[in-house]
Amino acid sequence: MIAELAAKSVYGEFAVKSVAAVYGLAWIVTLAYVAILNAKFARLERQLDEIASLMEAAADA
Amino acid sequence: MALALALIFFYVPNDADQGYSQRIFYFHVPIAITTYCLFGWGAVNAARYLWKRDPSLDLKSYVPMHLGVIFGSLTLVTGSIWANISWGTWWFWGDTQLTTFLIIFLFNCAYFMLRFSVEAGERRATYSAVYALLGVGLIPLSVLGVRFAQSNELIHPITFNSNGANMDGSMFLTFLVALSAMLTLAVTMYLVELRGKRIDDRLRTIRRLAEGRA
Repeated sequence: MIAELAAKSVYGEFAVKSVAAVYGLAWIVTLAYVAILNAKFARLERQLDEIASLMEAAADA
Repeated sequence: MALALALIFFYVPNDADQGYSQRIFYFHVPIAITTYCLFGWGAVNAARYLWKRDPSLDLKSYVPMHLGVIFGSLTLVTGSIWANISWGTWWFWGDTQLTTFLIIFLFNCAYFMLRFSVEAGERRATYSAVYALLGVGLIPLSVLGVRFAQSNELIHPITFNSNGANMDGSMFLTFLVALSAMLTLAVTMYLVELRGKRIDDRLRTIRRLAEGRA
């Protein structure tokens, strides 16, 4: 498919690779952002568990 | 976003001048516009903070500034890839739009240096708000200033001028869909990140209280 697209383009395969690099980069940045947010929410969940343990310990005491 | 990608790769024709590489434009320009919108929204909330002194507005100013830097980095990288095809160089200092965008980007990067060099509190929020407002003042310089530059300085393609969009109907439709997708993505990221930071703040408060009771 890349060769077919390249044949139709003005600047050839180089242009196709560059376009793929731009859209691939945007995709990677979005995925990285989601992964960082996922890590952040996992940390918040752990903190919530710790607080729940503290509250339970206080209630038992 | 899926519709935008479908239009970009399967609907819109190759540009007569730039060929296949012109498809970079459908992401590069919406990302750049989204960057300006994020810095603008950060400045609006900064102004609201200075007026109302509500700490939640400081957070609403910080989050778009942070996202603006991410989108700004993408603008610079995607623009450089396009420049490498069209101009044969990754960067051209003679282009007014490129240089002014870089200045705005670096100015807004320094926002974080200022913010994290001051202890959390009202002073930090005030300094950050004033800086965000100064940064947004540079945007008209990039968007409008370059249009008043001498024509021989302009080698950056101008998408919109006083006659409207410089593209045919199918290209303009694709551009609008891509712009809507990018703005929607930015708004979603803004809301999720803002919610995460608010939860983080509240958890810290609850933890302090829980540790006090335990």
